[in-house]
Amino acid sequence: MPDTPSPASPLDDDHEWDPTFLNCRREALTALGIWFLALSWTVPFCYLNGYPGENFDPENLSTVFGIPSWTFWGVVVPWLVCDVVTVWFCFFYMRDDHLGAAPEDAADAEGGA
Amino acid sequence: MSLPFPLLAVSAGSAALVTFLLYMVGVFVLAALSNRLMQSKSFLSEYFLGSRGLGVWAFALTFAATAASGGSFTGFPSKIYTHGWILALWIGSYMVVPLCGLGFMGKRINQVARISGAITVPDVIRDRFRSPAFAGLTVALIVFFISVNLIAQFKSGALILKTLLADVPQFTEPAAWFGQVTANWSFLAGVDPQYTLCLLTFGIAVVVYTTYGGFHAVVWTDVMQGVVMVCGVLLMVPLTLWAVGGLPNATAVVAQQTPPQRGTATLKLDPLTTDFEIAKGDWVHALRVDEDELNRTGRLKVVELEVYRILDSVFVAAGTPKTPPAEAGVELDPNSPDMLPGWWAKDVPVLKITSPDDKVRAFDGHLEQTDDGLFLAGFPERSPSGGEFVASAAVVSFVAAHDPVKPGSYVTGPGYKAGSDIGFLPLSLAISFFFMWAISGSGQPHYWVRLMAFKDAKTLRRSILMVACYYTLIYLPLVIIFVCARVLLPGMEAESDRIMPAMAVFLTQNAGVAWLAGLLVAAPFAAVMSTVDSVLLVISSALVRDVYQRNVNPDASEKRIKWMTYVVTLAVGFGAMLGALNPPRFLQDIIVYTGSGLASCFLAPMIYGLYWPRVNKAGAMAGMLAGFAAHLSMYVAGIWVNDSFFEAYKPYDLDPVLVGLFTSFVTVPVVSLLTPAPPVDLVRRYFCRKVEQGV
Repeated sequence: MPDTPSPASPLDDDHEWDPTFLNCRREALTALGIWFLALSWTVPFCYLNGYPGENFDPENLSTVFGIPSWTFWGVVVPWLVCDVVTVWFCFFYMRDDHLGAAPEDAADAEGGA
Repeated sequence: MSLPFPLLAVSAGSAALVTFLLYMVGVFVLAALSNRLMQSKSFLSEYFLGSRGLGVWAFALTFAATAASGGSFTGFPSKIYTHGWILALWIGSYMVVPLCGLGFMGKRINQVARISGAITVPDVIRDRFRSPAFAGLTVALIVFFISVNLIAQFKSGALILKTLLADVPQFTEPAAWFGQVTANWSFLAGVDPQYTLCLLTFGIAVVVYTTYGGFHAVVWTDVMQGVVMVCGVLLMVPLTLWAVGGLPNATAVVAQQTPPQRGTATLKLDPLTTDFEIAKGDWVHALRVDEDELNRTGRLKVVELEVYRILDSVFVAAGTPKTPPAEAGVELDPNSPDMLPGWWAKDVPVLKITSPDDKVRAFDGHLEQTDDGLFLAGFPERSPSGGEFVASAAVVSFVAAHDPVKPGSYVTGPGYKAGSDIGFLPLSLAISFFFMWAISGSGQPHYWVRLMAFKDAKTLRRSILMVACYYTLIYLPLVIIFVCARVLLPGMEAESDRIMPAMAVFLTQNAGVAWLAGLLVAAPFAAVMSTVDSVLLVISSALVRDVYQRNVNPDASEKRIKWMTYVVTLAVGFGAMLGALNPPRFLQDIIVYTGSGLASCFLAPMIYGLYWPRVNKAGAMAGMLAGFAAHLSMYVAGIWVNDSFFEAYKPYDLDPVLVGLFTSFVTVPVVSLLTPAPPVDLVRRYFCRKVEQGV
């Protein structure tokens, strides 16, 4: 079936955006934002604090609980923070949208398109 | 005293075999239960998608276990051991993988699949874009990439099993017999019989239980495999920290370690009255003691000690003519006491241990450090890292392949990498890996099938958290365990892929619970199995559902579809297994190429398709092809730039997947906006709902 140009918006008096779609898009953008924040913290922090170059003296390695400080603050702590953010995302942010009924016989659903 | 339960009596090596057998029994029981479940439901939907009914445990663990391939328990520990703490940054983006992999598109793809009735990824594409041609392109790319990946995964599974069972007589003896039986089979010429036997065992088991049980069998075994993996890792943490004397101690030792040097050693051998053989992984040394101390006190005070691990086995037949030192590449005075008459010289690739503490540990308690110096109390038979000490050979010279490295490379970035000026993880690669695991990792079709199978949004919410906890409990502890392994098992760079089973055996023997090694070493084959079974179903579903049912014979009866599915799944599985009999080289490179290629092709079209109403089939198809071409071109350019397809060209050190993703994400909107908008009814079907009147 050929595509037909659609000058009109899919929205009219009878149609509105599906709230599940809108919630999904909002949640996807938030997940992307969290990923970007994690990247923005972890990589620069580790690079600035964990890449000392030629003059590094192992005697002066700073550690927290036996983990090199740059790893602890650059990876372990943000990892745990991300777990806390995940709790927030899952239980306080993400919506329990209705996803639709499971088609009993998928082959019939689109009529072969 | 006899033990009450036979398993408790087995050695650590045999425990791997016993655990494997028990494990396979469990897998087949689950497959049988799954097959019974199928009797009462729509076959295709149940076989390929579990009737969209996965709950939290099943969904979370099947997602997590599928994502954690065999590499998580072989390649990753090997990298940690080889490069140190920098692997924490390398794997760091797993902190957001659950949010990206599940939260980014999980709910939406599940909804779209329900709207269209799709049970496969090409189904989703076909119906979302209303284009059988686009679905055909999707099937072609999925079958191409995932078939290649499947062969590599089969090889990986066979190698892991072979590694785990390497020291088990109940395995090596039948393997030797198998080798004799198949010695004259031309298509097995040159193939290691141990590898072949492992491939057949692993392959037949996976193909049969996947074919018989379908999606639910895969999911349930994934759950079992996921539990095995996390239990194995969590058991190893306290055993490791106890053995190493605490993490602060381990990190302090690792900070002082220097990477071993690869190079060539010239050995002097005892006069050859019999055949002489040294196995890969054995140890040789160069030792000088204080003669005065020896004469005065009889004690062996070590003045100079070098320890080497053999990288390639050595065999010299009795009666072999002596090699003069000059021909062996050694500048030695012929009258040197090092070259006594009757000795043979032999050049051997070795790993030279450079850290003093590692040398002491390699001697397994036979060296004693006192205030007066280092004293030798005899030679151990074996090192804790495995391999025998060879007393009848000694190193007379060593030529290093690269310069020595200062201490500190195991606790800082970019991490040591032999022969590389930029190190293991320069800044550009650190950024690339943050993209690769979290973003391109969410672009894998075999993950999406799982996203189409969960029951409802509440299941997804809880599963995201569960997967987040799961990854936290797996990956951070793995970094700690295998950084500590540097302290406990020196010289494992010689065979770093064996570090997981070697640690399992060492830790459990050290703690007096050798039988537990079986559970620990079960994790790697659980991981690779859970990936192989999922990938197998993706290919067979693409062929049965998207090629046969929707294009060749839309009116096929359910009975015919059922048998077709069994036959195709068996055929694809055994075909891949045969491909792995004589597998391509570059195993890890192939897995990386296919994974990043899939993301380059599929991620942008799918994301736009889910979230942008204006995207049309022309834009999405162009994006898929552009991503494929851009990604492939980086590898083809590698042939000219780096003389190897698998040494891809990396502009500004950025991985090819970033080039592919960028190209694809730009192409889709550009082409979509230059071509007619999609039909309104199609947009409404997936993005709109009817306004409820009177509310």
